[in-house]
Amino acid sequence: MSLDSADPELIALLDRVALGEHAALRSLYERTSGKLYGLALRVVSHRDWAEDVLQDSFLYVWRSASSYRESLSPPLAWLGLIVRSRGLDLLRRNTAQRSGLTQELDEVLAETLQADSANPMDTAQASQQAWALHQCLSQLEHRQREVVSLAYIRDLSHSELATQLALPLGTVKSWIRRGLDQLRVCMARFA
Amino acid sequence: MNLSAHPELLSRIAAGYALGSLRGPARRRFEAMAREQPSVRAVALLWQSRMIGMTELQSASQPDPAVWTRIDNLLRAQAQEQAMQAARGAAPHRAGAGGWLRSLALWRVASATGVLATLLALVSGNSLQQEFALEREALQARLQAMPQIAYVAVLSDDQANPSMLVTFDPAKRTLTLQRVGGFREAADRSLQLWALPPSGGPRSLGVLGADQVLRLSAADQDVREVPTLAISLEPKGGVPSAGGPTGPVVFKGALIRKQS
Repeated sequence: MSLDSADPELIALLDRVALGEHAALRSLYERTSGKLYGLALRVVSHRDWAEDVLQDSFLYVWRSASSYRESLSPPLAWLGLIVRSRGLDLLRRNTAQRSGLTQELDEVLAETLQADSANPMDTAQASQQAWALHQCLSQLEHRQREVVSLAYIRDLSHSELATQLALPLGTVKSWIRRGLDQLRVCMARFA
Repeated sequence: MNLSAHPELLSRIAAGYALGSLRGPARRRFEAMAREQPSVRAVALLWQSRMIGMTELQSASQPDPAVWTRIDNLLRAQAQEQAMQAARGAAPHRAGAGGWLRSLALWRVASATGVLATLLALVSGNSLQQEFALEREALQARLQAMPQIAYVAVLSDDQANPSMLVTFDPAKRTLTLQRVGGFREAADRSLQLWALPPSGGPRSLGVLGADQVLRLSAADQDVREVPTLAISLEPKGGVPSAGGPTGPVVFKGALIRKQS
């Protein structure tokens, strides 16, 4: 929770970026690129693509930082949403062109899910809101958490998740339903 | 159905909506309800903002340092392009700046580097100054990287608005023309550059394309001892040198040898 102190600094940087200060964008990049690149990798699962997504996202931030304040979001969440949506755009474009490659990546994902160790969640730099979500996600069984998390990060439907993770559709549906129910009850305590 | 009366069902649907698992017609119905009913909208937004936290929980990973270099390069290129556009758009219309720009003496005394910086400083109003500071630096660096600019000319239209910046680099035997005004020839016309030597007729130095910056190859003797350059409006593709210009002269200016 003490990590929240990063927010005012990032907000101040976004304000300066909105005024057209190159140096502020550079500082913002230094403070957030690791976190955002990690997210981009999770969305597109491919280093080159993730770099393109990161580059695109920062160019977008340069143009649109002035709209940050009206979003009323924690700064890292606003940036994360930009990276996710740019990543999804890139996936949609590339999936149409190169389905073979994404299929290969899906196999990597499926293996992650089979592994015993949970995909580590990382609360470094996380806002208070994300920290609460982390607490609640931690209570889910790891494969369930992974499916819920992938559903959001990669914007996948039940049937896409079932195909990509090589799981029965019924299993995916019930994991998501139960996962969301647990999240609802848990998050209500933080509201 | 009034979802607001069923808070548990509402929050379940809103959570599925925010996660993305609520799809198809059910999703569209929920969106319609959220638009109509603020209480539904509030729960939808609450769950959206909760789920966004997911983007903050992924493990960090260091990107290749080249990513920032690419971002930086793209931003600098964009900024330069904007500065050039502002210079082109603003120069002919700013009366205050016009007098200065028209004074060829200024071009004579200043280095080409200083002149372009001055030009940009004059045309970029106060509000834009800060934005252009970086661009000016970049332009200056580029100009300084140019080995030799032995001749400079500012060609102006009949209203004395500067319209074309011409430089000649004898080392590279290159004439560089840069449009600085808003003039655009019609699609079926071309601008043609002429040397007007003290004796003999005009000599064609080349035909301009539509590009903002144009480079023509020219020998030193093409340019030496030529007091004036002119640009005429010709049929598409230009006319043969021997016959001289057939169309009106649209821009004209003195060619100044840089003392260095």
